[in-house]
Amino acid sequence: MAAVVGIRACLSALQLSSPALLHSSYKLCALPLIKRSFAAEAKKVFSRDKPHVNIGTIGHVDHGKTTLTAAITKILAEAGGARYKKYEDIDNAPEEKARGITINASHVEYTTANRHYAHTDCPGHADYVKNMITGTAQLDGCILVVAATDGQMPQTREHLLLARQIGVEHVVVFINKADAVDDKEMLDLVELEIRELLSEFGYDGENTPVIIGSALCALENKQPEIGINAVLKLLEAVDDYVPLPKRELDKPFLLPIEGVYSIPGRGTVVTGTLERGVIKKGDECEFVGHNRSVKSVVTGIEMFHQSLDRAEAGDNLGALVRSLKREDMRRGMVMCKPGSIQPHQKVKAQVYVLSKEEGGRHKPFVTNFMPVMFSLTWDMACRISLPGGKEMVMPGDDTALTLTLRQPMVLEKGQRFTLRDGNKTIGTGLVTEILATSEEDQHNWG
Amino acid sequence: MCTFICFLIGCKSYHVNTLHTSCGRLTTDKVLLMKLRKSTGYSFINCKNALEKFNNDITQAEIWLTEQAQREGWIKARRLEGRQAGEGLIGLFTQDRSAVMVEVNSETDFVARNKIFQQLVTNAALTALDHHQNIIDTQGYTKHELSTQDLLKLSMNKGSSLAELLALTIGCLGENLSVRRAVCLTVPPDWLIGTYVHGEVGCAQADIDMGRYGALVVFQGECSLGRKLAQHVVGEAPITLGNMEEQSCSQSETRFLSQTLLWEPSLTVSQFLRQQNAQVFDFMRFQCGEGRA
Repeated sequence: MAAVVGIRACLSALQLSSPALLHSSYKLCALPLIKRSFAAEAKKVFSRDKPHVNIGTIGHVDHGKTTLTAAITKILAEAGGARYKKYEDIDNAPEEKARGITINASHVEYTTANRHYAHTDCPGHADYVKNMITGTAQLDGCILVVAATDGQMPQTREHLLLARQIGVEHVVVFINKADAVDDKEMLDLVELEIRELLSEFGYDGENTPVIIGSALCALENKQPEIGINAVLKLLEAVDDYVPLPKRELDKPFLLPIEGVYSIPGRGTVVTGTLERGVIKKGDECEFVGHNRSVKSVVTGIEMFHQSLDRAEAGDNLGALVRSLKREDMRRGMVMCKPGSIQPHQKVKAQVYVLSKEEGGRHKPFVTNFMPVMFSLTWDMACRISLPGGKEMVMPGDDTALTLTLRQPMVLEKGQRFTLRDGNKTIGTGLVTEILATSEEDQHNWG
Repeated sequence: MCTFICFLIGCKSYHVNTLHTSCGRLTTDKVLLMKLRKSTGYSFINCKNALEKFNNDITQAEIWLTEQAQREGWIKARRLEGRQAGEGLIGLFTQDRSAVMVEVNSETDFVARNKIFQQLVTNAALTALDHHQNIIDTQGYTKHELSTQDLLKLSMNKGSSLAELLALTIGCLGENLSVRRAVCLTVPPDWLIGTYVHGEVGCAQADIDMGRYGALVVFQGECSLGRKLAQHVVGEAPITLGNMEEQSCSQSETRFLSQTLLWEPSLTVSQFLRQQNAQVFDFMRFQCGEGRA
C-alpha cells in the first residue's frame, strides 16, 4: 500500500514538472515505476463472484447522505472492496442519459464481504421515478439517512412515500451525526420516532435495522465506535436485511422472437436473445402473441452455428422447434415455458413523457391519443386514457396512464416499453398493473 | 457513551426488545421531550434545550420554542440563501372578480409535496390577493405583478410579514425556499377569468390549486371556455397576445391568438373565439422554475 502511495506521489510530482523533463524522466527512471503503477491503476476486470444488489440513499439534503456514501467507500477501500470517493467527487449528481431521458443521479459501486452493490443517490422525487421507469437501477433496498440532531424532517414522510411508490420493500435506517448529540437517550427517541413513522408507511418498523453513528467520524477516523464500526454495522445490516433480487436464471424462460426461419431438411428455427431463464434441449415450449398460441418442443439449440444443450438468459440463440411451420410464428411473439405467460391487452403503467429538450413532443397530449407501443420485439398501436382528474399530459411529466392495445400481446407487470409517435420517441414506461378488458375496449378499435 | 451505543448497534437481530426496553428506560424528562417534539415538530435538540431551560415546564418551553423558531429561521434562511431553489409549486386562487397566481420555490420536489410548504404557498397567495384588493380603486381591469422583494414586505392579516413566515418555514423544512413572484388581477363585472393548474399535487388547502404550471386568461364569453383557454396557454406556452387578424404561419407561433388550438388543430385561437363570440384580453403563464439555470 505504502509503495503505491509513494508511486502516486512521484507521478503527481512528475506531472507538475515540464513536459520535456517529464518525457525524459519517464524514460530514465520512471519506467519500472510506471509499469507497477499501471498495474495498480489499470481498469480492473469486473468479477462476478458476488451477487449484485442495487441500493439507494434517501433523506434530507443536509443529513449527510453524501458523507455517508464517502465514508462507506473509504472504509471498504481499506478492505479492497471499493475505490475511495471523496465527498466532492460524489456530491455533484451529474446529468446522465438513459433511454434518451435526462436523470440526475450519482452512482457509486462497492463490494462487501458478501455482495456487490451499486449505490444510487438522486436529488429529487422525479429523478427517482425516472430511474425506476427507465430501469437504470431498480432499487432493491434503501438506506434512509436521518440526522440525530434534527430527527426526522417533515419531508421524511415524502421520502418514504417515494420509496413506497418506486417499490422499495426494504429500508435500513442510518441515524447520522451521533457525534453532535451528547445525550444518548435522545438518540433513542430519534430511533423510536423513525420506527413509528416506518410502521405508518407500511414498513416493518419494529424489525427494521436502525444503526446509529456518524459518517463524519468514520471519514475522519475519530471515535471508531460511532464512526467506522457503525458504518460497518450498517453495511452488515444491509447485507442481512435487503434480500437478493430473484435471479433472471431462476425464472421460467422467455425468448422474444426476433426472426423465424425455415431450414430445409431440419425444420423451423426461431431466433432471439433469451430474456430470462434457461432453455434445455427437449424442453416444452409455447408461442404466445399476435392472437396466437401454439405449443411445441425445443429439439435443438444453436449459438454461433454450434449446437448446445442449454442456453442461459442473455444468450443470443436459435432454437429448432418440432412440427411447426414458419407461418405459425412471427417476430413479436415470444417463446416461453408453457403456461408461464399470458398475453394482455389493457394495462396500467407509470410513464415518463420526454420533454422537448430530450427529443420528445413539443405539445401536451390528451385522452385517446394513439401512439405505438414497443416492447420486447413487438410493436402495436395503443390508445391512451388519462387517470381521473387529469386532462392532459405535458412533455416532462411522469404520470400513471391506462393503455389499451389493438391486439393482446405479451405484457407483464414490471415490463418496460417505449411509446413512439411518428418518428419520435415520446415516452418510456413500466407496467404496474394488468387490467381486464371490457367489451367497450374491443369496440373502440372499430 | 460506549455502552449505550453498543447496546443499540450491537444487538444483531434488531428485535422488538430494542424498542420496548428503550421505552421502559425513558425517564419522565424523555416522555415530556417526546410530547413536546410531537406537538411542536421542532428539532429534538431544541426541544431538549427548551425543557432544560424551563425546568421541564412544557408550556413555557413551547412559547420559548416558538420565539426561538423565528430567530433560528432567520439564521437558517441566511445560511441557505445561496443554494439554488428550482423546484416548488405554482399556487392559484380565484375569488369573485379577482385572481392571484404565485410561484414559491424549494430545493427539492420532496418538500414541494409537503403540507407545510403548501401552507406557505397558500399564505403567500392569500396575502398577495389581500394586498391587491386593498389598493385597487377602479372598476376597470387591473393587474399587479409582484416581485420577491414586493412580496416579502407584505404582511398577513395576523400581522407578521411574509418574510417572517418564509424564514419560519425555512427553519422548519431546512431547505432554501423563495417566494419568487406573484400576479394579481381584478376584472370588470362583465369579464371573466379562466384558470388552469397542471401537475396538481393532492393537497387539502382551501380552494387553492397547486401544481407545476399555472395559467390565467382574462376573457369575455361563455364561462366554460375559461378552463380550456387556460389549458391551451399552459400547453402551447404563448408569449404575446397578438391580434385577431393575423394568422399563424409556423408551428412555433408564440402569439396566443394566432396559435392553433390545443384540442382542435384545424382552428386557430382567434377563429375559435370568433365562432364562440368570445374575446381574450390578457393572459399569464407561470412554469415552476422557468428561466433559472
